[in-house]
Amino acid sequence: MDRRHRLKWLFTAATFAVGVALIAAACGGGGSSSTTTTSSSSSSGSSSSSKSFANFRIAMDTGIDYLDPGLSYTVEGWSIMWNVYLPLLGYKHVNGPDGATIVPYLADSLPTVSSDGKTYTITLRKGIKYSNGATVKASDFRATIERDFKVDSPGVGFFGNIVGADQFSKTKTGHISGIVVNDSTGQITIHLNAPQGDFMNILATTFAAPVPAGTPAKDQSTTPAPSTGPYMIQSYQPNKVAIVVRNPNYDASQFDGNVPVGNPDKMTINIIGDDNVALQRVISGQDDYDEHQIPADRLASVQAQHADQIKVYTPANTYYFFMNTRTPPFDKLQVRQAVNYAINREALVRIYAGLAQPTQNVLPPTYPQYKKLNLYPYNLAKAKKLIAASGDKGMSVTVWNHDRGYDPKATAYLTDVLNSIGLKAKEKIINAAVYWTTVGNQATKAQIGFADWFQDYPHPLDWFDVLLNGERITQTHNNNYANFNDAGVNRQIDALKKQPTLTASVNAQWATVDKAVMEQAPWAPFLNRQFTDFFYTSMDLSCYINHVLYQFDYATICHN
Amino acid sequence: MAQQATEGEFTLDTAAVLAAGEPPSAIQGRSPWYLAWRRMRRNYVAFFFLGLFILICVACLLAPVYAKHVAGTGPNNGHPLEQIRVNGVLETVLSPGGYLDKHGKQCPSAFTDPSCHLVSSIPIAPTWFGAGGRFVLGADANGRDVAVRLLYGGRTSLFIGIVSSLICTFFAVILALLAAYYGGWGDFAITRFFDLMYAFPVILLGIALGSALAINGFHHWGINVQSGSIWIPTLVISYVLVAYVGRPLRGQVLSLRQKEFIEASIAQGASPFRVMFIELLPNIMSSVLVFFTLIIATNILLESSLSFLGAGVQPPTASWGTQIADGQDLIVTRPWLSLAPGIMIVLTVVALNVFGDGLRDALDPRAKVRVQR
Repeated sequence: MDRRHRLKWLFTAATFAVGVALIAAACGGGGSSSTTTTSSSSSSGSSSSSKSFANFRIAMDTGIDYLDPGLSYTVEGWSIMWNVYLPLLGYKHVNGPDGATIVPYLADSLPTVSSDGKTYTITLRKGIKYSNGATVKASDFRATIERDFKVDSPGVGFFGNIVGADQFSKTKTGHISGIVVNDSTGQITIHLNAPQGDFMNILATTFAAPVPAGTPAKDQSTTPAPSTGPYMIQSYQPNKVAIVVRNPNYDASQFDGNVPVGNPDKMTINIIGDDNVALQRVISGQDDYDEHQIPADRLASVQAQHADQIKVYTPANTYYFFMNTRTPPFDKLQVRQAVNYAINREALVRIYAGLAQPTQNVLPPTYPQYKKLNLYPYNLAKAKKLIAASGDKGMSVTVWNHDRGYDPKATAYLTDVLNSIGLKAKEKIINAAVYWTTVGNQATKAQIGFADWFQDYPHPLDWFDVLLNGERITQTHNNNYANFNDAGVNRQIDALKKQPTLTASVNAQWATVDKAVMEQAPWAPFLNRQFTDFFYTSMDLSCYINHVLYQFDYATICHN
Repeated sequence: MAQQATEGEFTLDTAAVLAAGEPPSAIQGRSPWYLAWRRMRRNYVAFFFLGLFILICVACLLAPVYAKHVAGTGPNNGHPLEQIRVNGVLETVLSPGGYLDKHGKQCPSAFTDPSCHLVSSIPIAPTWFGAGGRFVLGADANGRDVAVRLLYGGRTSLFIGIVSSLICTFFAVILALLAAYYGGWGDFAITRFFDLMYAFPVILLGIALGSALAINGFHHWGINVQSGSIWIPTLVISYVLVAYVGRPLRGQVLSLRQKEFIEASIAQGASPFRVMFIELLPNIMSSVLVFFTLIIATNILLESSLSFLGAGVQPPTASWGTQIADGQDLIVTRPWLSLAPGIMIVLTVVALNVFGDGLRDALDPRAKVRVQR
């Protein structure tokens, strides 16, 4: 080989080596630590931010039920799919209460609502494509809602007010007559049976996120349906791992800044069953984010060593004891009030390891409608008097709960308290898998028990209409565990349901509903729970966004 | 030639050995129970552990006395916000949690004050003798006195262990006698039942039954056991272990059934009941007694396992198994929550096993009785 040829060979080899190194960096090296890239990529119109990095590794708990937008009904599933399947409308990707603001996602603007509040008209943005390259059509939206009914989605109840939905739920053939679509103009017209103030929130749920018409009416978790968001689910092995990658057909410029580009090029979601294992994986750098709650036992040591890597947040939630107003002794207001006076909410906060705030409201403090109530300050003596006055002293009471997490400790506390005020209480702890259907069945006649509620969407109707409207009590799968049915409160809820927007005046009226309910004391709300997010030291938390509904926004996190 | 055992030395003497030690004029008939007692009384180790077991039982029986006069609280009474003086220092049973400043006061809002830090509520550590008998072993996450619950938990665990052993042994003996005496289809059915029970892993079967009965209890054939009752784990444990006692006993009865004294009894017109319960039963009593002793330990372990897994004793009733489960979330900062009941289980099981072994050696030095699972 002469000198000229040697140089040519060396140059070729060096170029090849550099090329291999660049490809390796772009791929993220599988399980190796994340690497930062600064270039945007793709020739097919997808976008990536200047803060993009190769791989965001998540230690996720076992809460993912499905990764099918029509079926998932857990925070874990939704938090992944928020950036995968875009509904017509969605929420701002911001911290704080502003996150509840509804903005157009696939729709080109917010819906036009008729004067009677019963017709919503929406037009799709032009040129939006699924991850498989197909164009999003108006008829896909109708097909998506119909698919929800066909797969027995847990979200079908949200669409019951659409004209023809009831009929379709029975026949599951033809179309829902109340959804009129025009594929050529992209216009979608939805007719409702009655005005519904939270309907835009309903349209912003993942249940309403369009998937192509013709998507099989069965669980698509492991064969993910094409998506419209910045990411697509590449693969999912239940209880093991989910891989989420960039959607090659996503163009952030089409969404007016309402949907972020997303910083991680890829998300590896490792499903870890144990809190301690998940924490250790993040401390040691095997994962970048611990979605689990940091075990109370280890909080002090983690705080001491990694204080800057912990975020604490309060999602919209209320933990409460329900009291069945149809069953003695809780059919008496005095007894229900006695329970409210007898529980020391500060004690319950400590039983929940201190990561909570005491409350007496139905609504969580993150809501603009929240007005702090103090109707039942701790007063054991008064509680005893009320029980004595009710004539139910010594009555047997069964306290229901499931067997997971801290919650059984709350029931142990309540049982002790009920015994101390003159009732004869015992616990009934059953498997969490059957708990909600058991206490939600009227045949069970559950007298009193534990319940919690995390919002489906940020609107007071998701609390009062779902949990406390006496007109919505059902024989089975009842969410109104207290069977609370107060004509005055029902009327207020029904009237406020018709309000299309949450103005200051409407918010004030919701606050009065909160008070009116608690004066009747069907619940004994006791705390709003706080949770932790914990990150590996390589993550830059200046980008951290915790959304009011979807909690930590994976798409916007940055790498150091 | 038989060698005489010296006093204080423990050997597995046979009747011949014992007889060789007697002067010829003093030889007299000794009952098997007397011979067993002679062997047993030199086994100091077995007696020591019997004493330990009795001590544990007495301590657990005195739980209400301790709770009322020493600890001043019941097993299910929580004191999360109560402050007690430990060696002169005021401490809260459950420490405050959340965002606290350096004085332990709640910070108004998170992250605004750099001196504030995040802590979780932790129950008080063992006070030993620093708080006048209160929270000697600390508190659990509900602010309940661990020492009080330990003693009450012992009552539950020992009750379940002993009563389930009684029930299990009773039915095992009946089934073994019926199967071996009658033979034929009865023996076939009972033996296949034992085989079926052997085929199931004990813990899994216990979890399945315990979980199923935990929701609605048991209400069949005139038997009404409410959910949450400690009779559920008691009966479940009795049921799942009956084959493990019944099958070896059936083998023994089958062997005795062929002996001449049984043939003679039958030839004399003895009824089956008499043959089974007057002739056969006394001859397997030594094995039954040993099985009973050893299976108490097994049942206590099984109860603890089931309760730990949520399929045994239901809260708030204390048992050693539920206490270990309660303490697992705090194993780093408050290890005594799990260690204390764990130690009690170990002591009880070791005591029963060593005593059971001694009893077996004394009752029949040649016997190879083992509870095998």
